[in-house]
Amino acid sequence: MKILVCISHVPDTTTKVQFEADGLSLNKTGVTFVINPYDEYGLSRALDFKEKEGKSVSITVISVGGREVEPTLRKALAIGADDAVRVDKAALDAHQVAQEIAEYADPREFDIIFMGKESIDFNGGLVPGLVAEKLGWPFVSFATQMELEGEKDVILHREVDGGFEVVESSLPLVVSCQKGIAEWRIPNMRGIMAARKKPLSVVSGVDAEARTTTLSFTYPPAKGNTMYIDAEQPEKLIDVLADKGII
Amino acid sequence: MSTYINMDTLRFILFDVMGAEKMLELPRFQEFDKESINFLLDAVKDFSDKDLYPAFREMDEDPARYEDGKIIVHPVIEKLMKQTAELGLIGGGFDFEHGGMQMPAMVLQAANFIMEAANNNVPGYPGLTAGSAHLIATFGTEELTQTYVPRMMTGEWAGTMCLTEPQAGSSLSDVTTSASPTEEGHYMIKGQKIFISGGDHEYSENFVHLVLARIDGAPAGTKGISLFVVPKHRPTADGGLEFNDVVTAGDFQKMGQRGYCTTHLMFGSDDNSRGWLVGEPHRGLKYMFQMMNEARIAVGRGGVSVATAAYHASLQYAHERAQGRRINNDGSKNVSADQNLIIEHPDVRRMLLKQKAISEGALSLIFQASLYHDLTSGNEGAEKEKNHLLLEMLTPVAKTYPSEKGKESVDAGLQVLGGYGFCSEYILQQYYRDIRIMSIYEGTTGIQSMDLLGRKIPLGGGKGLKLLQADIQASIEAAMAYDELKPYAKVLIEKLGIVQKVLGFLMPFAMKGEHERYLSDATLFMDLFGTIIVAWQWLKMATTAKQALVSGATTFTADFYQSKIHTMRFFYKYELGEVDSLANTLMHPDVLTILGEEEIIV
Repeated sequence: MKILVCISHVPDTTTKVQFEADGLSLNKTGVTFVINPYDEYGLSRALDFKEKEGKSVSITVISVGGREVEPTLRKALAIGADDAVRVDKAALDAHQVAQEIAEYADPREFDIIFMGKESIDFNGGLVPGLVAEKLGWPFVSFATQMELEGEKDVILHREVDGGFEVVESSLPLVVSCQKGIAEWRIPNMRGIMAARKKPLSVVSGVDAEARTTTLSFTYPPAKGNTMYIDAEQPEKLIDVLADKGII
Repeated sequence: MSTYINMDTLRFILFDVMGAEKMLELPRFQEFDKESINFLLDAVKDFSDKDLYPAFREMDEDPARYEDGKIIVHPVIEKLMKQTAELGLIGGGFDFEHGGMQMPAMVLQAANFIMEAANNNVPGYPGLTAGSAHLIATFGTEELTQTYVPRMMTGEWAGTMCLTEPQAGSSLSDVTTSASPTEEGHYMIKGQKIFISGGDHEYSENFVHLVLARIDGAPAGTKGISLFVVPKHRPTADGGLEFNDVVTAGDFQKMGQRGYCTTHLMFGSDDNSRGWLVGEPHRGLKYMFQMMNEARIAVGRGGVSVATAAYHASLQYAHERAQGRRINNDGSKNVSADQNLIIEHPDVRRMLLKQKAISEGALSLIFQASLYHDLTSGNEGAEKEKNHLLLEMLTPVAKTYPSEKGKESVDAGLQVLGGYGFCSEYILQQYYRDIRIMSIYEGTTGIQSMDLLGRKIPLGGGKGLKLLQADIQASIEAAMAYDELKPYAKVLIEKLGIVQKVLGFLMPFAMKGEHERYLSDATLFMDLFGTIIVAWQWLKMATTAKQALVSGATTFTADFYQSKIHTMRFFYKYELGEVDSLANTLMHPDVLTILGEEEIIV
């Protein structure tokens, strides 16, 4: 079985977001980048398959971006992926990224493409569906559970409002993952050392076009001061809320 | 989840201030690079966030204890031993020939610092296992090494150091645990040991105790002490384990670190406890000092870790708590305005800066000592000897400054919370209790101070001190390149002169044979010396930050670099200033603490 896991290179959740002077790009000074946590669920689920099935499962991780994404791909290798691919194009929008991934995947006969339900930087959630559409594969979103049924079918649980839906699909397919599908893994030292020697190849990509252009970003309103109210004085909370016109 | 550490500060000190990447060029460490180290630190942080920090409070509220003949500890210990082994934190520092990865000490310290800041109850369990396995691998026979070390490196078996006895605490020359030789080659061990950290629990299959004992007929004093491997269960020829007559008699209940068991062990109550000699007879204390020196720096790191976590807890509170209003220039307050956050008040800022100055300065000190460690293990010949001397010089300081000043730092942090700091609902009180042990563990502050003044300052005819001064001088010259830092570099030169002046006053007592007088205020000398050493560390950090600002480096933000320079200035004003008062006391002619003919402390 061949599995492709798409990895977004995203700022750590604790990052204090600041934009460059043009207001259109993130100021990356002092920012730590990590594997998109939802993608990491996909990687973990792929590793679960590999641990169960052994060497017959190969895991490739892929990211679209410049050299700066390579440490993030290396980290995925340290966690346990077999090889990594960087598509040497700046990531511009969901359509362009999806096109690049689909073009890479199409001739290589992957059985499953895992990715997160969204990336935690732009939160678009579009790439998984777009990749599936471009490949003409089935797509299951928001997967919280996934098991193989024989060699070519899978049963997946996906979250829906107020509960879960159980679906069946054939392989190959695209799965967007969220919490529940697997436990995040912590790389061990031997994995970290081995990652230095695993293959990380760079492909030029297909010059896919972006179809959207960002015009501006704005910051959310600043948070107000926190006020502590003694738990023994709930009436004071009522007064404060009334003073502020909330109730 | 609350913040307990700033990873940027850790990376700044490790890579930018200490130059870890350059150290990695040494042949011993060539398997590592900056990227792999960062992956390891990220992995340790993930583990600490997910498993260790959530257990921190629980371990205090549901402490380690002795019940029905067993030691009960938090179940996170099972995962801890397995995960730390997989992360290479037990055997990763060992030589390749002993199955290790030759991981730099600086990296191990960084990893342990993260875990310890998350939960200071836990790193001792794998840490003591690593230290005792390292002792066996270094001084034990091949058979002993093969029997014990591999299973300790995987975390299946735990290790301890057994020194203290009821009548022999700081005074190890009074150890009475006995070792009687047998024809089979092993010794029969009999005695009891107390305050044995991590000495027993249900999550390790076996415990490998490194025990100081006297072989029958050995000379009195420390020169008659030998070192033995005494497992709780001894391996049998068929690959099994049989009980080795090591009985756990109890667990000491403590004011802090309540999740870290502190056991009382009885060896040979039924005359059936076997021990295997490590190295040569009567050299046990010398061997044990390898582990103790490592453990001393680890205790210093423990002080830094608790102080760091406390700083972040106080800082978070100060950013959330609104109380009072700032004073206007005319002395009035605008009572109709919203209350200010307490971080806006100068006195709160002073306390937070004190915490930051002490905890980050002490962290840099720990890495400085670890750098000397790595430059010792990674070099040969004169370079090795030089760095070994520097490590020897810094070890008592690296143990003591973070322990003693860390207490002051946490105290200031508790004060930031006002009344809530005293309440169990907030975490500061736990840090306040936890850090108290650090100035007692592995040789009290008094012992460390006598080691510094009595042994390390005169080491090699003062060679160690001269080497240290040369390194400090190099940092001063680097700082002199920047006008903003020049005044502080000059202050450091002046304070180094005070060290010489104080030593010039004290040394004649030693030369006249008045050793008790020479050492009577050693703890004050430690305070003075340690503060100057940390002032050196702050000058290094400020110089590195200034270089980054001038060169337009973008690893960290400009605010981050400015914060380092500002905190250096704070340290020089509020902490380094105390050196003058200490010097005056050290050179005061009155002798008031030496026992005279009549007891006056009544």
